[in-house]
Order: sequence, then C-alpha cells, then structure tokens
Amino acid sequence: MVLEIKKICKNFGGLSALTDVTFTINKGEIFGLIGPNGAGKTTMFNLITSMFIPSSGEIVFNKENINGLKSHVITEKGICRTFQNIRLFPQMTAAENVMVGEHCRSQAGVLRSVFRTKSQKKEEQKIKDTADELLEFVGLAKYSEVVSENLAYGQQRRLEIARALASRPEVLLLDEPAAGMNETETSDLFDLIKKIQAKGITVLLIEHDMPLVMKLCDRIAVLNFGKKIAEGTPEEIQNHPDVIEAYLGREEEDELYA
Amino acid sequence: MFAELINPYYLQVASFMLINIILGISVYITLSTGQLSLANAGFMGIGAYTSALLTIHFDLPIILGIICGALLAAICGILIGIPTLRLQGVYLAIVTLGFGEVIRVVFVNWESLTNGSVGISGIPHIGREMLKSFQGFGFNPSAIGLQNNQFIFLSIFLLLLAITVFIIWFFRRQHFSRVGRAFAAIKLDEKAAESMGINITYYKVLAFAQGALVAGFAGAMYAHILAYISPADFAYHRAVEILIFVVFGGSEVIWGPVFGAFFLTLMPEVLRFISEYRYMIYGLIIIIMMAVRPQGLIDINLLNWFKNKRETRRQKHGAGNQKDM
Repeated sequence: MVLEIKKICKNFGGLSALTDVTFTINKGEIFGLIGPNGAGKTTMFNLITSMFIPSSGEIVFNKENINGLKSHVITEKGICRTFQNIRLFPQMTAAENVMVGEHCRSQAGVLRSVFRTKSQKKEEQKIKDTADELLEFVGLAKYSEVVSENLAYGQQRRLEIARALASRPEVLLLDEPAAGMNETETSDLFDLIKKIQAKGITVLLIEHDMPLVMKLCDRIAVLNFGKKIAEGTPEEIQNHPDVIEAYLGREEEDELYA
Repeated sequence: MFAELINPYYLQVASFMLINIILGISVYITLSTGQLSLANAGFMGIGAYTSALLTIHFDLPIILGIICGALLAAICGILIGIPTLRLQGVYLAIVTLGFGEVIRVVFVNWESLTNGSVGISGIPHIGREMLKSFQGFGFNPSAIGLQNNQFIFLSIFLLLLAITVFIIWFFRRQHFSRVGRAFAAIKLDEKAAESMGINITYYKVLAFAQGALVAGFAGAMYAHILAYISPADFAYHRAVEILIFVVFGGSEVIWGPVFGAFFLTLMPEVLRFISEYRYMIYGLIIIIMMAVRPQGLIDINLLNWFKNKRETRRQKHGAGNQKDM
C-alpha cells in the first residue's frame, strides 16, 4: 500500500464535496477514479496534494500521515499531479517547464547559482539532461525549445506529464489526461501511461474516457455525489448495478459494454 | 585635455541615472515573482536614513553605514513580505504603497531622531571621503590632471557604475538558474509552481527581501551622494517614479528597467523645457504604455529579434568569407 485514503470528508461551507471516502492504492498499480461530473474526483486530488485540507479523515502516504503538509512538501515526498485544465508555465519553453519540475530534486541556492560553482554547473547539466530524457520519453524531444503555449493541445498534456515526472514521483496523479484528445492521441496516451507504470511509478487516474479507463486500470473506485459507490477491478465495476445507474440509468446498460 | 571633458554636472546626472537604474532593478526583482511592490521608495528611505544616522552619530565608516542601511531595508522587506504573501495584484500594490507612506510619516514625526520634515544635512559625502582616503595614501588628483571636484564626481560615478554592473550581472545569473526558474514559475502560475515542489513562501519572501536590499542600498548611496535627505525624497511620487521606469522600459527582462531609468532620467536633462512637465509626461506614458505595449518597451521578443538579426548578419559575413576563399 503506497497511498491510503481513510474516511476522508471535505465540506465547503454547507456543501459536502466528499463524505467518508476510503480506498487504498497498491504500489505499482494504475488506479482509476471515476464518477460523473461534480462527484468530487478533482477535490480528492486537491486533498491528496494538500491544495485543500480535509475536513476530517486521513491521507497516509508510505505509512506517514500527510494531512496538512504544504503542497510543495508533498511533491518532495513523492506525489505529483497534473491538472484538469492544463496549467503549464505558458511563456516558458517545453524544456524549461520540465526543468521547473526538477526543482525539488536539486539544491542550488542564490549564491551557488550566481557564482556558478562546480557543483551547481554539474547539477544544472543534470537537470538539462533529465529534461531532455523526459521530453524524449513523452515524445516531445523535437519541441524542447518551443514555447509551451504554442504547442498543440495533446502535446501540452504530454508536457504536463513530463513536468510532473521530473519531480521523480512515486505516485503520479493524472487529472483527465485524455480530455479533448482524439483517438490516436488517446491510444498514444495509453502507451505512455503503461510506460510510466513500467518505470515503477504508481498512477492514480481521473478519466471520463471509459474504454481507456477499463483497458488501462488495474483497479477502479467510483465516486458519486461525494460518496464512494464501488471499488474493484474493471470487470467488477462494469457489472456493478450502482455504477451503471449513476452513469447511465438502467435502460442503457448496453452502451457501457460496447 | 582629459580634465576638460570631465564636467561635474554631467557626472552628477549620470550618477543619479545609475541610482535610478538600481532602483528600477529593485522593482524588477520583486516583480519577477509576480509581486508588484510600491514600497521600494520606503525601503530606499530606510536605507538612506539608517546609513545617514549611523555615519553621523556613531562615526561609522560610510561603507558599513551603507551595508547596515541595505540590510535593515532587507529585514523590513522580509517583515512586509511575509504578511502580504497571500495578496496579489492591486491589493499588494496598495498595501506596499501604504507601507511606504507609513515609513515617510515615521521620518516626518520622529523628530528627535530624524529631524522631521527639515531632513538631515551634513551627511558624510562619499566622494569627499574617497578623496580624503586617496590623499591619505599620498595620491593627489592633480597627478592625473584633475581638480578635486572633478575627482570626487568621477569617483562616485565609477563606483556606482561598477556596482550597477555587478547588480545586473548578479541578477542575470540568478535569472538563468534554478532560483530564476522558480521565480518565473511563481510569476506565471503560483498554484502550479507549488504543485511542482517549489516553496513559494520562501521564494516570494526572498524576492521581496532582495528588492528591498537593492532599494535600501540605492537609498544609502543617494544619501551619501547628496549629503542631504528629507522625508519628501522618499514619498509617494518617488515610488511612482521608480514604477514608471519599469512600466516604460519593461519588466520581463532586466534590461527593461535599466533602459527605462536611463531614458527617463536623461530626458528631462536633455530637454530642459520638459522637466517641469515631467509628472504630466509620466502619467501620459503610463496611459500610452498600458494601451499600446503593456509589457514595456523592451521584452523578450525584442531581444530575440536583435539577437536573430545579429546572427543572420554574422552568417552572411561567414558566407561572404567562404566565397572569398
């Protein structure tokens, strides 16, 4: 178990976005978090990365309670995310974006940076090399000098994944990585996420593209109105009556199997 | 002949231009994390008053006075930077503007220490002190054909020039490093930056402190060049003036404020008849710049354009040479 979500509740004023959600993610698996719009999936991501503080409950990462730590500390500990609405640094080049991702794995401070000590130069070279490697890994090697806001939409999504990988996460949170992608791009994304898993990185995935989720995930949890209504393997989820109802209503079962 | 070229008046103007450049850079530094600080006139005042009082009352050497002034300004920068961390844009601008005004009011009302709105005179003059210590070593300006007066202003100018070059060098190197990337990331998207593992509290306060340090330093130099300071020197219109350097020149690259301060200090001197309408022109500049070129005259694209042009020219030259061979 690398990440445990224990009885998490989150209220925004009188609105409860998440109620008593519990699930655990095993090391090395691809875990899907699905549910209709507004079910609380992104809120869950924001809680895990400490952008919000849970109203109650615990988030345990590698046996350590990470509730209330600062976001950047959580990234340092090994959880990094991408965003539903892409949040790259728009005026930076692709390579620079990835280099920012490596921030927490490097040390050089003001003085070492300004006087360019030996160790700083070495570190900077390493940061550049790793950035090139990661751009290659997500298939953007030839765009490294392109300003990221000029990249195509699918490329921006990949770049965001590369930037997150640069922080050397143990758990990678992907928030709707396939949103707005066409079929070829989605199938490339499938390969990419499999490759990430092969690196030994645990992936927690929010996605609306059901065929992709079902093919990709080892296990899935389903949220609806802030509550977990099901958890299990893709087959179990597809046959779960509550899930079918939440998504489609009972009559349209057939579509889910298509 | 060399001596005739050195006109103390021009050197004085050039020295103030350099101080303005340093002040412009101080705003640029804080702004490079996306924080707009209008407190830099206040930090400048803190640097100036600290150094002036220390050198007058405790006979501290000017260098130590300047260092203490800059450091105290940096500490005030940290103190104001921490509570304003959550503020952005207009709100931060107003808080920092208020802070600057508080500083000025303190200078006006703490009469026992600051002499109130009359100001402090008789501050040790850095040029004269330098002349004295040079003479102490047995060097006389007349040896290189200069009058004492010329030597004083020349040495101030050269000292400031060296310091300005150092500051530009320092912050350019910082910009192209891990720290600079963190600054830029925070400026472009604070939430994303934090999610990527950047300690935004640390870097935002660092930027504030650096800006305050540089502004405090400029203030201390100002005090020891003019030898007289009063609260009015560090009031609201100074804050706006510094801001204009950055708005006009541009805040994306360090050359923006450098050019802005250079041009806007020179303009009223060259076109004397303009100088009375200076603030009117400043207002006009803000309006025009915001409408036409909000990023300032000098931005990255402009620099790249120059670079490309130079490179194509070089390539042409290269091709020409090959033909000759």
